[in-house]
Amino acid sequence: MLLKIKQEWLPLAAWFILALPPMQRFLEQSMVTHMLVQIPMLIIIGWMIGKTLPAEWKAKIAPWNRWGITGMALTIVIMAYWMLPRSLDGAVSEWYFEVLKFITLPVMGIALNLSWPLLNSIARGVLMLEFWATLMRLGWLYLDLPDRLCANYLLSDQRILGQLLLLGGSAYAISWTLRIMFGTKIIKA
Amino acid sequence: MSSTAASRKIEYSDSENRNALIAVKAHLIGGLLVFLLMMLAGFAMRAAQGTWLEIAVDLFYQIMTVHGVGVVGAAGIASTGVLWYFLRQYVRLSNTIFWVNFCIFLTGVVMILGSIFLGGYGGAWTFLYPLPAISMGAWSTGAAAVFQLGLLVIGTGFLILYLDIGRAILAGYGSLAAALGLPQLFGKVPVDNTHPPTVVAGTMVLIVNFLGIAAGAVVLVMGLVNLYNPEFQPDALLMKNLIYFFGHVFINATIYASVTAVYELLPRYTGRPWKTSKVFYAAWFAIVFMVMAVYPHHLMMDFPMPQWMLVMGQILSFGSGIPVLVVTGYGALMIVYRSGIQWSTTTKLLFLSMFGWAAGVIPAILDAMVTINRVFHNTMWVPGHFHFYLLLGLLPMIIGFTYHLAGEGRQKEVKATDNVGFYAYLIGGFLTSMVFLASGASSVPRRWAVHMDEWVTFAQVGTVAAALVVLGTLLFILRALISLPRAADPS
Repeated sequence: MLLKIKQEWLPLAAWFILALPPMQRFLEQSMVTHMLVQIPMLIIIGWMIGKTLPAEWKAKIAPWNRWGITGMALTIVIMAYWMLPRSLDGAVSEWYFEVLKFITLPVMGIALNLSWPLLNSIARGVLMLEFWATLMRLGWLYLDLPDRLCANYLLSDQRILGQLLLLGGSAYAISWTLRIMFGTKIIKA
Repeated sequence: MSSTAASRKIEYSDSENRNALIAVKAHLIGGLLVFLLMMLAGFAMRAAQGTWLEIAVDLFYQIMTVHGVGVVGAAGIASTGVLWYFLRQYVRLSNTIFWVNFCIFLTGVVMILGSIFLGGYGGAWTFLYPLPAISMGAWSTGAAAVFQLGLLVIGTGFLILYLDIGRAILAGYGSLAAALGLPQLFGKVPVDNTHPPTVVAGTMVLIVNFLGIAAGAVVLVMGLVNLYNPEFQPDALLMKNLIYFFGHVFINATIYASVTAVYELLPRYTGRPWKTSKVFYAAWFAIVFMVMAVYPHHLMMDFPMPQWMLVMGQILSFGSGIPVLVVTGYGALMIVYRSGIQWSTTTKLLFLSMFGWAAGVIPAILDAMVTINRVFHNTMWVPGHFHFYLLLGLLPMIIGFTYHLAGEGRQKEVKATDNVGFYAYLIGGFLTSMVFLASGASSVPRRWAVHMDEWVTFAQVGTVAAALVVLGTLLFILRALISLPRAADPS
């Protein structure tokens, strides 16, 4: 019982730690940690909250989320919004953007958790490939663009992020290849 | 899961089978009609180069663009029809997804046709960066964007289809390695001669095309970003590498998809089974990598390319055709030799395809040599290679399969019109390719709308040859249109 309570509170505790001003400033001082640490962690927190949602809540949401389509549409809209340089800049400069980020990204994680298992396997494949292509496209753009995309971050920061996105995309491609070619799973679900 | 267990044929309901047959016929008829239109376009271009027809220069480049992209698209959709028809007998494939791809393909075709004939896009099907963005007024940014979006849409449709094929193969065999026969090749499990060659070929096509389309999805979007944000100037050489990786893999894979017709049909006409073996698995395993690694033979004139890639492109181009070609060509010869086969248009076309495939790679191997490539690459030699390969290798596989599906196997005698069609096509196809090769050997450049007086004779002979190809294809297509819609499934 005690362990169960702990598990349910763990994501909220993590969310609270991320929202603490020192932690928030530490992660947002660099474009790399902002995009590759803080944002993914907020989504993971949402995913974990989605896992621990009471069964009756899930049952109430299910009719509105047939085949996971509504949830995935919400996920894609939120993800696309936080990929805009203006949004990222806003989160650093304006408090209301920051509040919006700390709410919408966990919501995206919850929607992803509730919708992914319901999604058709072909749709999952298309989204996984599109996610990979997005990593590669953004990585390439950040590396090659002559100007800064975010007013709050240095061009050198943007370039490092570009390299890391390309690296992440490559690692993702290798792990996916190993899985479908030989049935090898690098990360066990 | 053992391959023997998975090799049992899949059972479908009657309505599923009827629907699947209609879908395959739609793919074949659609593909062959596009092929015919593209042949007419090719005929018009050769006639214009031969001064027998007047075509405005801008229209010539639009026709050249539609000819290139149309043939690649028709090859893709028709060869997919062939592969899907046979593969669904071994793994459970979805009719809905097959239709979805067909409809998405048609949408992409409309977009591409609009971009070319309404928007005036004439930057060739290879959309090489930065050409789409610097038309000097010949076409608008919107036209170039719609062309690339059309390709992106078509790629997405194929991607969805390959995801379904991948899902079905993984469900049936556990991993792509098992479907390719790798556990048998490396001695992990005993060799199973009944492991279907179609599954091996389908898995190879799935792997290479999936990666090729993924590269295309990235490079097409980067091209679109450049069109609307010219400040973003990606590395032109990297763009070219990705475009050729995508384009070369896609068109090359069509022949590996269509060869399943040879594996499946020749045994039926000869009464001898096509048995898989370690050599067969090794050849197909090798070709997975070779098909993806040979594309640098398109970039040999790009001196900043890393030397090792050019060396790899040259060496692998020498070897890329050999493994599968040897096992397939030799296998076909052995299956037919003294089998008492009754020659029909189906079997003649399938056998011709082995010749077209084998002989069609020879000009490619020559062009893949750096020293020859420097002189030949921008000449008619290159169209000579791919016309040989496609007209006498790929298309006979597709048309041969169409004849089989149209029920030719049940007839005792070959019709006279089919004979005329076959020989007009054979002579026309061979002559078209040889005139291109001879023009290339005489340094006639490719992609030129207007030819010098000294080159005109080549173009005129080429026009006559193209007319023969059109005649043969027209007879084939008439036969397909008349017999195919009503034909019952011959299997």
